[in-house]
Amino acid sequence: MATDFKIAIVGSGPAGLSAAAHAAELGLSHVMLEKTDHLSDTIYKYQKGKHVMATPSQLVLRSDLDFDAGKREKILGVWNEQTEQHKVNVKFNAEVVSITGEKGNFTLKTKSGETITAETVILGIGTQGNPNLVRCPVADGAVVQYQLDDPGEYIDEHIIVIGTGDAGIENALGLAADPEQRNVVTIVNRGTEFATAKDANVKLLMTAEQDGRVNVQRESTANKIEKGFITFDTRDGELRIRCDRVIARIGSAPPRTFVESCCASYEEKDGKKKLVDGTGIQFSSSDRLSYPVLSPTFESSVPGIYVIGALAGYPLIKHCMNQGYDVIEFINGNSGLKPADEPILDKKFSVLPGQRSVDEWLAFLKRRVSIFNEMSTLQLREFMLDSEPVSYRAGDVIFERNEPGSSLFAIADGSVVVEIDPTNPSVTVPIEQGSIVGEVGLISGRKRGATVRAETGAIVIEIPRNAALKLMSVVPAAKREITRISTERQLLQMFGSSITSADLVDVLATSEILNVKAGEAIITEGDESYDIFVVRQGSMVVEKEIGGKPVFLSYLPAGSYVGEMALIDGGRRTATVRAAIKSEVIKLNGDAFRALLERKPQLLGLFKRDMAARYELTSFIEDRKDGFGGVIDLYSNVASFLVANGIGEATDLLLIDEKLCVGCDNCEKACADAHEGLSRLNREAGKTFAHLHVPTSCRHCEHPHCMADCPPNAIHRGPDGEVFIDETCIGCGNCQRNCPYGVIRMDKVPPKKPNLLAWLFAGFGPGPGEPPKKWTEKRVDPETPKKAIKCDMCSGIEGGPACVRACPTGAAIRVAPEEFLTVARLGGG
Amino acid sequence: MASRGIERTNLAGDGSSHEGFLRHKSYRWLKIASLLCLAAIVAYMLIDVEPRPNGGSWYGYTLGTIGALLILWLTLLGLRKRAMTRKKWSLKGWTSAHVYLGLSLIVIATLHTGFQLGWNVHTLAYVLMMLVIASGIYGVSAYAFLPQALSDNRGEMTGAQMVDAIASIDKQIQISAQPLSDEDSAVVIGSLGEDPFGGGVYRRLTGGALKGGNAAALAYVRARLGEVGGGEAAIALDQVAVLLQRKAGALNRIRRHVRYRALLEIWLYVHVPLTFATIAALAAHILSVFFYW
Amino acid sequence: MAFLLRNISRSASGREIIRESRVDEDLLRIGRDPNSDIRLNDLAVALHHATFELVGGDLLGVSAEMGLTIEIDGSAVGFGRIHLPSGGDVRVGPFLLRILPKAAGSADVAIDIERAEDDAVLEKVDLRRFQLSSVMPGKRPMAWISVLLILGIFMAWPIWSFYQGRTESARYAQGYHPDRMWNAGPLSRSHASLEHNCQACHVQPFVPVRDQDCKACHTAIHDHADPRRLAAATPGLSGFRRLRMQFGAMFGQTPGRCVECHREHEGAQDMPPTPQQFCADCHTDLRSRLPDTRLAAASDFANGHPEFRPLVLVNWSGEQPQMQRLALGANAREMSNLKFPHALHLDPRGGAAQMGRTLRSRYGFGDSLQCSNCHIPTPDGTRFQPIDMETDCGMCHSLAFDQLGGTIRTLRHGAPAQVVGDILSLYRAGGPQRPAELSAGARARPGDVSQIRAAVQFAAARNNLGMRADQAVRSVFSQGGACFDCHEVTPAAPGRLNYGIRPVAFPTRYMLHGWFDHRQHLVVQRPGQPRLEGNEACASCHGARTSNSSADLLLPDLNSCRACHGGEHTNRPVASTCAMCHDYHATAGAPAMLLRQQARGRRWESTVIRVNDPQAAAPQRQ
Repeated sequence: MATDFKIAIVGSGPAGLSAAAHAAELGLSHVMLEKTDHLSDTIYKYQKGKHVMATPSQLVLRSDLDFDAGKREKILGVWNEQTEQHKVNVKFNAEVVSITGEKGNFTLKTKSGETITAETVILGIGTQGNPNLVRCPVADGAVVQYQLDDPGEYIDEHIIVIGTGDAGIENALGLAADPEQRNVVTIVNRGTEFATAKDANVKLLMTAEQDGRVNVQRESTANKIEKGFITFDTRDGELRIRCDRVIARIGSAPPRTFVESCCASYEEKDGKKKLVDGTGIQFSSSDRLSYPVLSPTFESSVPGIYVIGALAGYPLIKHCMNQGYDVIEFINGNSGLKPADEPILDKKFSVLPGQRSVDEWLAFLKRRVSIFNEMSTLQLREFMLDSEPVSYRAGDVIFERNEPGSSLFAIADGSVVVEIDPTNPSVTVPIEQGSIVGEVGLISGRKRGATVRAETGAIVIEIPRNAALKLMSVVPAAKREITRISTERQLLQMFGSSITSADLVDVLATSEILNVKAGEAIITEGDESYDIFVVRQGSMVVEKEIGGKPVFLSYLPAGSYVGEMALIDGGRRTATVRAAIKSEVIKLNGDAFRALLERKPQLLGLFKRDMAARYELTSFIEDRKDGFGGVIDLYSNVASFLVANGIGEATDLLLIDEKLCVGCDNCEKACADAHEGLSRLNREAGKTFAHLHVPTSCRHCEHPHCMADCPPNAIHRGPDGEVFIDETCIGCGNCQRNCPYGVIRMDKVPPKKPNLLAWLFAGFGPGPGEPPKKWTEKRVDPETPKKAIKCDMCSGIEGGPACVRACPTGAAIRVAPEEFLTVARLGGG
Repeated sequence: MASRGIERTNLAGDGSSHEGFLRHKSYRWLKIASLLCLAAIVAYMLIDVEPRPNGGSWYGYTLGTIGALLILWLTLLGLRKRAMTRKKWSLKGWTSAHVYLGLSLIVIATLHTGFQLGWNVHTLAYVLMMLVIASGIYGVSAYAFLPQALSDNRGEMTGAQMVDAIASIDKQIQISAQPLSDEDSAVVIGSLGEDPFGGGVYRRLTGGALKGGNAAALAYVRARLGEVGGGEAAIALDQVAVLLQRKAGALNRIRRHVRYRALLEIWLYVHVPLTFATIAALAAHILSVFFYW
Repeated sequence: MAFLLRNISRSASGREIIRESRVDEDLLRIGRDPNSDIRLNDLAVALHHATFELVGGDLLGVSAEMGLTIEIDGSAVGFGRIHLPSGGDVRVGPFLLRILPKAAGSADVAIDIERAEDDAVLEKVDLRRFQLSSVMPGKRPMAWISVLLILGIFMAWPIWSFYQGRTESARYAQGYHPDRMWNAGPLSRSHASLEHNCQACHVQPFVPVRDQDCKACHTAIHDHADPRRLAAATPGLSGFRRLRMQFGAMFGQTPGRCVECHREHEGAQDMPPTPQQFCADCHTDLRSRLPDTRLAAASDFANGHPEFRPLVLVNWSGEQPQMQRLALGANAREMSNLKFPHALHLDPRGGAAQMGRTLRSRYGFGDSLQCSNCHIPTPDGTRFQPIDMETDCGMCHSLAFDQLGGTIRTLRHGAPAQVVGDILSLYRAGGPQRPAELSAGARARPGDVSQIRAAVQFAAARNNLGMRADQAVRSVFSQGGACFDCHEVTPAAPGRLNYGIRPVAFPTRYMLHGWFDHRQHLVVQRPGQPRLEGNEACASCHGARTSNSSADLLLPDLNSCRACHGGEHTNRPVASTCAMCHDYHATAGAPAMLLRQQARGRRWESTVIRVNDPQAAAPQRQ
């Protein structure tokens, strides 16, 4: 029987477009169904003038449509025009609500009730899904919109924003930003907290509320929207206020349900209609972030339905467009087609011994490495684009002790050994094939704890932190595995050569991982408990109650343990241990551990030694206390001040001693001149305590907030532990918003300045340091995109950080927290 | 994969906090400079120059050369602090050396003169140099004593914030003064117009109080408050008074900040130009000496 | 009739926000008051500031409240009209009310209300105003100005005037010239006059002061010795010193230049006396470096000075006198061709002394003859004038030989031929007179026995007149004769009377390279001995009292000097550096050092023992 089209393409995003264009190119009968009245809605919804990047740059574009980095408008323009040229058959305002049938004859129903039949279906609907609609009745004439393109275009309006996610808050702030517009902006919150939003945004909102720029309507829900008015149910009854426009940002339903329902058969189960397992399109796991199971040709578990684009797990435009092209090729019977990333992977694998094809390698890795087992080949492909296969000869060092680095290593072949005893390299623990190494660095973000060598010739996959995190989120099994291994290793590493993993079995069995909020105590002075805690992530501070106030004893970075005193001499806890920042600790059952200690006298010895040190410290503090109480207080206060200012999660912190700082701003100038003319630090801004000033400059957090969502994944941790942004930055500003310390700025790179001497003698140019805005603006074209700028610890500059080098009085210092927060510093003060 | 390792301030050892530029590397440059002076003095004592010590003797030439080179090198600090070359160097070290070697010039140059001074270009060069050093000494002491005050006064505020504070107070005054009668508002405008940075160098240095519009307005409004019993006007006036009070505080903060900065910077306006004057005089001195050899 | 108001404002992003409103009245109240038709919320605007009113069809009356003004098309007035078809601008406080030209036919008046941007706000936010630089003149201009000033005044101007001065050096010497600013210090007193005439010495730029420029004035100065020999004689220098010399040589500062010793610009002082060491450096062992030198080694006057070697006349028999430097001692004899026994004349009980007493009334002699009776100092008192027969000897020794009435005829001294002639003529003039009262030919020697001889001669004369004249002549020129006793006579050829007299030498100076000033020694007091004056003083050095022959060389020797004079550092009364007697640039005159001391009137202090009464020490000659 004949269908209307050979191919029906759902969604007109980059993937769909590219597919449709190629279909048209090949003259296949096709239709592209777009739910909106324009192409590629996701990109269409980018803010005006947003600069869109074409990453990964090394990937070749294989599509009938052109795509190059540029402004949103330009790109959309090109696509519209070229879809015209290719005579692509587009159906706008056709939102597909259901797909039924089987390969060769699918039936697609649209919202408007229209049905379309096609032999094959390509799903390119992305992950964005449809915005949730306001549930309350909306009288006609009332304006309700689900997105905000340009906050600037509304004036003198009473605008209600519903939804307290980032989108909602950002919209509200945008509308209220400029008092000249005289908008009355109200944001509605069902509860009192803004749990789903980023702290940064919440803070901004709170300040806006205090300034009276935005009204926050808490514990309220809209129950009626009319023209010019909206009615809320609030805790104390109904409230009707003016409202010219409602902006609803209450999230969107992920398309998963729709996808799963495709061609699924349903059954009655206790009165509810439920999916029959195994029917419909299968996903790799129940994890919210998991993707549909796909064949190498993007065919889903339902034959004839292909899934491409973001929905298939490929967020980057280039990937999507290539897939669009590929999938048409596949459908068109070209089974020999190699994916576009083939050459890249080929190149990556070429460093490995043994001439194997990419597919063979992928299969090999999937089979060998435990954490890869559950990945789909496509995921693995994608994954390998980020990761680096390396082959080591016997004895090669994979990484060294105390070397920064957060990437994970998976041992695909051969075996490696860990030197657990820094003093004696011969003491090693082997790590078997298929396992992983370097996970401690990955989890704690601290420097490497031990040196790792290849024992035999080995093939190792280096997985960058972000890729590893993605892996853990996508493949739950991988996550479990990594957690287990890391816990065990961390213990082994801490307790040195004396014990083996065998000894730890029962300790581990009883161990549990706790998440501790900042400020929360895991051990409280005077308690009876005697469990051992190992700081896995974040950091802890140890305090002791002396003369009624807590005195800062010491600072525990990730990878240290605490609680042994009570365990060994019994008795109550002698000090309180609380989290400096949001942390993760491993709790080891006291009894189990005691057993271990009885079995392992050396371990006991180790513990005793550490204990002695701590006793010393405590007594030191106490007798000091009698003498120079002031010193202790000051020190303790300074310590807690620094912790409050993020030293807890810092790996490297710039401090300014304002007893010495003369405010010459040479640090800023040096910073600007050492980089491309923009200063990464603001000396004046920031908190000060006891003349110790923490300027706004990057602390290079263990787990950088800025890395959290960087579309081009341009933020990395460098060889010296510095967190830096590479040139692929697209200037989206996410990092700036995510940084809790406000150390990232968005700015245009100023042009080259005239020679220094020319300024010195003749006053040409703006002089040293960051040129004034005016000067830059005069010289750079206003179209140039802004870049995210942050401290990179002057990596690659021999002399080290410019700010410190260029401080004439020695006020600026760089410190690592564990060095700085030691009582040793009490000596001087 | 070996790591270069960032140069962190070393807090280990005696645990004393980091060193300022004066005690850089536990007074390394102080020691070097004193040695230099000592050597110069001893030599001056030992070598008897016929008929009397003077700049023209071989020892005089030696001291002169050392002095001239020192002066040029010291001048290079201005270049050093601005040229962010990549190599490893510490401006702190340079400053330290600058200070102590600069001071040692007092001895070296004085010995070079052989205490023969007169109304001539040679003494001019000497005097200029001494002035430069004197201003430098002021600078060092300023750097030693003022920063704390600066920091305390700033109270974690940046310059921009201080200015913004004023601006926002002004806005609020604008708003809350709307209901005021014309003559009242006329005075209040005076406060709005006031420039927080008013005054020239002298005022900045002395921090003399500005008889600015704000003070006047505040006084006026307070007086009015007394007259007006209560009611609308009183409330408005009261608000304005509070705002003006706050503004006064903000203004003072800015002016103190500006004052400390002025005290920290003023000496450079003597130090730097005179340095170049010294170099010029030095050139004239050297040339004249060899021109009339 | 209505007003269309367009309230124009700008958003932060610069976007224009326009708010329109319509007032259906003929009258607009404008002010800060919330319920005015056009509300301008700025304190610069009065509560009720102005009123717009339509007057007739095309005119808009604009009136400000009492005491207030508004700007209509740029001019501040209290009241005005605007012609609607052409429109106009009204300014109230910071606001600009633009009345748009009214379109023909439309009944409405459109007014744009805009707040004029004031840059002051932007200016305020400029953070650079925190820096002092905002109220200070820039450092760069200050630096440049001072640099240019200094270079101009202290470098360019002097150089300019230098070349100026060369062209018109005539009147250059006087008047101010800027190179004075280069003067490193006052010149020594002797050069004070050159203080402001740099080019007198500094002739060529960048060329060290040249000797020739010194010699331009110091014409008489000559080298200490032949430069080559001098260089050879200079003792070996330390390596460092030699290095310095080579270094200097590179810049044309060849060693041995005047300025090496004569350093200038060291203050208005005098040239210090040459230190002994300066000489001793070379002369202590000159011969070791200069084998052919005739100078003996000398290092210190007290110990290390050769015996005096005066220049003495050893023989004057031939044409030329024969001079020779002799070491003082027994065999040092002088051939002055004069016979004069000092002892005889100085003997206080001798004939000379007696005669002196007889002649006291005439010549004021003392009980015995004083040295100063015959030895008359040179005007400067340094030395003594040659003895003069007529004035010095003639006081006692007369040459009278005949008397004609009141006049006495004397033989002509110093002209032997004339003497012969005179005597012959005497005899030719007839028989001899009674011999008693004359003393023909014979020198009048009071208390002498020559009468007898005269009688004998007279008798002989009587016998043989022709023979007598020749006899008389011969007796004069031979032993016992008037000439013979004091002079060396050259005998006449046999049978003839051509007698001759050898010339007599009176050396005034024996030591030409050393200086001795008699005036400084008129009073002598050797340590531990009485103070001597007059004869005693002379005799204390010159052994005249015991000398029976004028051939004796009566110069004192080194030791007698050393009685008082020591070296530079000595415990003897007079510390004597080399410079006291010798000059570096040796001249016949007094050493520069002594001259300078005299110039300073310290004459009596330094070279002479302190005496209680300067008058007594003053030279006593009338």
